[in-house]
Formats: sequence, C-alpha cells, structure tokens
Amino acid sequence: MSVAAAIRTRDVGELPSRRDEDWRWTDLRGLIRVLPDASEAFTGTLSPGPFDRLAADHHVLVNGGDARIDVAAGKKTLVALRLVSRGVGAHASRVTINLGAGARLRLLESYESDGASVCQTALTITLAEGAALERIVLAQDHEDAVSVSQAEVRLSPTADFGQTIVASGARRQRLETRVVHPGGRASARMDGVYLVADKRHTDHTTVVTHEGVDGTTSQLIKGVARDQARAVFQGKIIVSEGADRTDARMGHHALILSDRAEVDAKPELEIYADDVSCAHGNTVGAMDEDALFYARQRGIPEPEARAMLTEAFIGQVIDRIWFEDARKVVRKWAAERLRV
Amino acid sequence: MAAVKQTVEQVQGLEKYKHGFSSDIEQDFAPKGLNADIVRFISAKKNEPQWMLDSRLDAFERWLAMDEPDWAKVNFPRIDYQDSYYYAAPKEKVGIASLDEVDPEILEVYKKLGIPLKEQEVLAGVVGSPRYAVDAVFDSVSVVTTFKKELAQVGVIFCSMSEAIREHPELVKQYLGSVVPVSDNYFACLNAAVFSDGSFVYVPPGVRCPMELSTYFRINAENSGQFERTLIIADKGSYVSYLEGCTAPMRDENQLHAAVVELVTMDDAEIKYSTVQNWYPGDPETGKGGIYNFVTKRADCRGDRSKVSWTQVETGSSITWKYPSCVLRGEGSSGEFYSIAITNGRQQADTGTKMIHLGANTRSRIISKGISAGRSSNTYRGLVSAHPKAKGARNFTQCDSLLIGKHCAAHTVPYIEARNGQAKFEHEATTTRLSEDQLFYAMQRGLSQEEAVQLLVNGFVKDVLQELPMEFAVEAQKLVAISLEGSVG
Repeated sequence: MSVAAAIRTRDVGELPSRRDEDWRWTDLRGLIRVLPDASEAFTGTLSPGPFDRLAADHHVLVNGGDARIDVAAGKKTLVALRLVSRGVGAHASRVTINLGAGARLRLLESYESDGASVCQTALTITLAEGAALERIVLAQDHEDAVSVSQAEVRLSPTADFGQTIVASGARRQRLETRVVHPGGRASARMDGVYLVADKRHTDHTTVVTHEGVDGTTSQLIKGVARDQARAVFQGKIIVSEGADRTDARMGHHALILSDRAEVDAKPELEIYADDVSCAHGNTVGAMDEDALFYARQRGIPEPEARAMLTEAFIGQVIDRIWFEDARKVVRKWAAERLRV
Repeated sequence: MAAVKQTVEQVQGLEKYKHGFSSDIEQDFAPKGLNADIVRFISAKKNEPQWMLDSRLDAFERWLAMDEPDWAKVNFPRIDYQDSYYYAAPKEKVGIASLDEVDPEILEVYKKLGIPLKEQEVLAGVVGSPRYAVDAVFDSVSVVTTFKKELAQVGVIFCSMSEAIREHPELVKQYLGSVVPVSDNYFACLNAAVFSDGSFVYVPPGVRCPMELSTYFRINAENSGQFERTLIIADKGSYVSYLEGCTAPMRDENQLHAAVVELVTMDDAEIKYSTVQNWYPGDPETGKGGIYNFVTKRADCRGDRSKVSWTQVETGSSITWKYPSCVLRGEGSSGEFYSIAITNGRQQADTGTKMIHLGANTRSRIISKGISAGRSSNTYRGLVSAHPKAKGARNFTQCDSLLIGKHCAAHTVPYIEARNGQAKFEHEATTTRLSEDQLFYAMQRGLSQEEAVQLLVNGFVKDVLQELPMEFAVEAQKLVAISLEGSVG
C-alpha cells in the first residue's frame, strides 16, 4: 500500500489511512474519494523556480518523470531540482541521487504545484564514504494540492548529510525522510521549518535508523500554525542493537497562533543499545506574552512585534543551513509569509 | 550517610521473588473455559441482581465481536481464552462475621505477604503511626475488608464490589462503566463480562478519608485469570488515598490479569491512587510463566478543580500493558502521573498515561522513569491532548529511561495533540545508561558494583518514590532493589 501505487492503479484503497499508525494524522483515504486522471504532459513555459539564480545545473520534472543526479568521487556541485505540478491531475516522480566517495553536493529542491493535483515523489539518495550532501527543500504547494515526498537516504561511514525542509503546507502535504545511518562517524542533520496558515496541512515525518557504532543525529524542527491550519511532526530515532556510542538529539517546537490551529507531534525513541545518549524535547504553545509586551513597550506595533518574535523563533533553524546563499533565500521566503 | 547504609542493608536483604509461594486452599472453581454459562455462573455465585447479569451478558456478546489488539511493543503467544478458569474462590463459610472465621490458610498467606489484616496488630503499633484499612482480594473474591465500622462513622463506604452491588446498587448503577464504557477496549470488555470482585469506595461530600485505604490482590489458583473491578468515587470536596498491591505464586503457565479501575472526582475532590505491582514476572532465563497484566485504569475529573494523582511502581508481570489516564473535564482540574517501570529478565512493559484536557485551565504532569535490564523491553507510551475548549491547558512531561546491559531495549512513544492556541505542552525525554563516572565514584568509596547500581538507581527514581505514601515508599525502594538483582556483572 502506498501513495505511488494508488496513483498508478487509481485505486483509492491503496491510499494510507488513519488506521495506519504512520499516517494517523495525515489521512489520505478519508480525504480522497476519487483519484484524478493522470496528469497531462506540460507544454507551456514555466515560471522561474525559487533557486534558479543560485544553481547552474537544473533538473526539472513537470507532472512526473524520472531524474538522476550522479556526483563522481571527489567532485563538488550545486544542483537545483524542481518538482513541478501543473493542472489538476495525478502523477508520480522518481529521483535517484548518488554521491561517490568524498563527493559534495548542494541540492536545492523545490515542490511547486498550482492546483488540486495529487503527486508523489520518491527520492533514493546514496552517499559513499566521506561524501557530503546538503539538501534544502522548499515545499511551496498550492492550497488544494495533495503532495507527498518520500526520500530514502543511505549513508556510508564518515558521510555528512544535512537537510532543511521548509514548508508552507497544502491540502495535504507530507514530507518524509528515512535515513539508514551506519554510524562510523557519519552524521545526519534533519531540520525543518513549517509555516502553515488558512486550512493548510503539513506533515514532517523522519525516521533515522542507527545501525553501527559512533553515529550522530541532530534534529531541530520549528513551526508556526495559524488560522485553522494543522501541522504534524513525527520523528523517530532507532538505535539498533550494537549501535553503541550513538548521540542523537531531537527537538520539535511549535507556536500555535490562533484558537483553531492544531499541532500534533510524536517524537519517538526506539533504543536497543545501552551505551547511547539520546534525548528529545517537544514544546507546543502560544507566543510568549512577556516578550511581546517587552517589544511593544519599546514602541514596536503589535503585528510587527509578533512577526519579529516568530522570525527569531524559526531563525534558529534557518541559521543551521550550511550554504549561505540558500540560507538567504529561505530567510526571505519565511519573512514574506510571516508579515501578512 | 544514612541513605547509603540503608541501601547497603537493603542489598543484603535481597532475595529472589519472595511472593512466589502458593498455598493449598480449598477452592471453588467455575468450570474451565469461557461462554455465556460461565458468565451466568459467576453472576449466580455472587447472588447478583438481574440488571448486573444482563450487563455482563451484554458485555460478553460485545467481547465476542471484538478483535484482540496488537499495537503494543510486546510479543507473546496468542492467549487461549478457553484454557483458563474465570472464577476461583476460597471455599468460605456463609457470612463471615469476624476475622476468626476466615480460613486460617488465607490469613497465613496474608501474613506471609506482610499485610496487617488484623486491626489489633495495626493498633498495637507505635502511637501515632498511620493506620490503613485493607480490602484483600484472593483470586476472584474479596475475603476480608477491615476498619469498615470506623469508616462508616464518617460516611465512607469501603467494601468489596460484590457487596456494593447488593448494598448500594444505586451508586454502582450510576457510576460503574461510566468512566470505562463496556466496549472501551478488548480487555476492559472481557472484564465487564467476567469480573469477579474488587473494591468499591465512596467518599461523601466534604469528607477527608481518615485513613489510607488499600487493597491487596493475590492470584493463587493455577490456570486462573483474575479480573477485578475497582470503582472509587470522591464526592465534592472530599479526599481519599488508595493503595493497591499485587502478588502471585511462581507458576510455569501464563496467567491473565485484566482489571478495570474507574475513578470519579467531583468539584474540589482529590484521589491519590498508588500501585505497587509485583506479580510474578516469569522465569528470568527462559521467560516461562508470569502474569499478563493488561489493565485499564482511568480517572474522570468531572468536577471543577478536582484532582487525580496516579503513582505506580511496576516491577512484576511478564507483560505489562497499561495506561492509567485522566480525563480532565472539570474547569481547573488536574492530573498527575508518576511512574517507575522496571523490567528485567525477559519482561516486557508497554506502559504510560493519557492526559486528555477537555476543560479550561486544566493542568497535568507526567514523570516517568523506566529502567530496563537483562533481555527485557520497556516502552513509555503516552498521550497528551488538548481539546479546542481547553484554553490555558498546561502539561509538563518528563520521561527518562535507563538501560542496564547490552541486550535490553527502551522506547519512548509520546503522542502530543494540541488543538488550541492557548495550550502549553512541554515534553522532554532522555535515554542513557548508568554513568560510568558515578559508578566509579560509588565503588571507589567501598560499595560493590551491585550496591553501587542500587544506589544510583534509587537516585534515578527518587522523584517518583517521593510521591508514594510513606509505608509504600520503603517497600517500593526495596522492591526496586530486588527487581534489578543480578542485572549487572
């Protein structure tokens, strides 16, 4: 049962439902009664993507298709990957990314939809020893879209993987990353930011499985929910038997800025080794009234003060992006959405 | 260094599962197996009114239509519900008037367990020492309830559930099943059909129950399940503290314990419910035998500013599967959950709590300490949720897990659902092993490795032990030590 199978067979019975533990807060079967027809090939001209100016190498998939990005051992490159949906059809995309030993890749990934489409993207990412990948994802879907992105990441010892997923939600938006972590001084950073408003929904799901000794994982997800929006965070860290000296930290912090918004979280630890240091923290709440009062008392109007405090709140995640130019794009993107 | 001395003494006093004896007591059994006739048999044995029988049969019908749940992180062979006795009672003389008439073998059992059944013994204690009333449940029935008269003077009803059904049907009808509905879950439904006995407590408005109430549960008979049902109602402005203790003999087969506990608090009332669960955990090497402890415990804080506090020390059972919960309905009501769950050998525990915030300004606090050793697995699973109307809801959760050994597992599975902008939820969890530095320090001061571990573990669980009533705290601390025996080295 998977979203990809549902799109292929047009059988809604294949869609995950709330009865599936992993999808309890992102029920697709209850939402989609009939799957739309397959998306038609797109022939028009595309508007520019959010990272166009940063990258020289572009991969664009419109309404499905396959893409492959290989970075040879020791090479360093910067790639923009656009997953575009045009119209109201259903489609699936597949992306394969391979990094050779010591290769370095900055991946600037964007999800762009413009209507009530149903799309799924499957990414398979492999990092050889000593490779480094920074994945920055900007998920700017249409409010009527159903968008599911599922990445399977396999790391080798001494590889560095870092990702920051920035999302503004959709009718249903699911951004899933599963990492197989071999330990061996490899590291994973699994960050995320979400800003959801109106009736939008976003779901950040991550699973990191530590399979060997000496691995580190660090995760910081922060988000803001307004109006009647709903945000979901499901994070899971598994430490297999024998994966000693694993150091894993997970943090999820959310602000709810209206009475009808909702945040659901499930930060999970599953540990089968004893010499580990694992922790998670989770907070959900309203904005700090004292901080707001302080700002206003210094002469800053309330809406301005709120935006400023929210920006500072999520700024902590954005600061962790390694690639400075991308950090600027993300910061600007967030600021535009906060000052409304 | 009094604490160290005490710990050292405790370690010396260690012994294997000391409640593992079984007693040869003449018993009345229902025929083996489960069907509507067994349900009728149990009801008839207890001289129940028709309405109770009807409700049991209805529950049995519903149970037949339900599927056994399997979502917990525990593994066990399928239970054969037909291979068990659903009713076992010591043969008793009709209408026991005083303790002298209780089977001396049973009294012997309770003496071995260290339960002060005889009021005189308690009274003979040091002046000013706390007294507590006891309801003792032996296999399927309550054998004796003490201090009833003294409690009746202040209006507190403390009796067995069977007696409550006969003597106070209006209260039982009103509240039984109102917190945990018949078809709430598979095991609660089974309980509603075949429950045998349990304790019933009603504290009238404005009364502070003058003593601790307690129940000791003992499974003695072979191949029998125990299905007790407890109902505690704290009326407006009242307070009661209730303790429960559980033990069972060592047997090779698994025995099922599926209890239901319902608590109701009205305006400004408070219930403090403490459990020391020490059912037989099964053989530590092979995992053979032991109790399946599948219990539904839930409190309904109906009144404004009411409060329920659950404290549990879970050391026994081969499998524990329970989530004492609070439904925080009343405005400003609060719930607390303090838990120590220890698994060793091949034990498996999936336990935690649910805090459901429905009313405005409701508060909850969860402190959970899990320790796993040997080849055991220990899972904290909890839910904190705030309804859109629960403005100003507040929760603080702390779950710490400690791992001792290479082959054990510790999991943390919290669910947090915030449905309004004025709720504030905080959750933190850590998983670590015992600190080498601290162990080294303790051992370098002359403690053996095992003693050092006991000392550190006692420090780890101190926050929860402090919440237990005095007499229980000492017992629990000792229990913690016994449970972890042989887990290091």
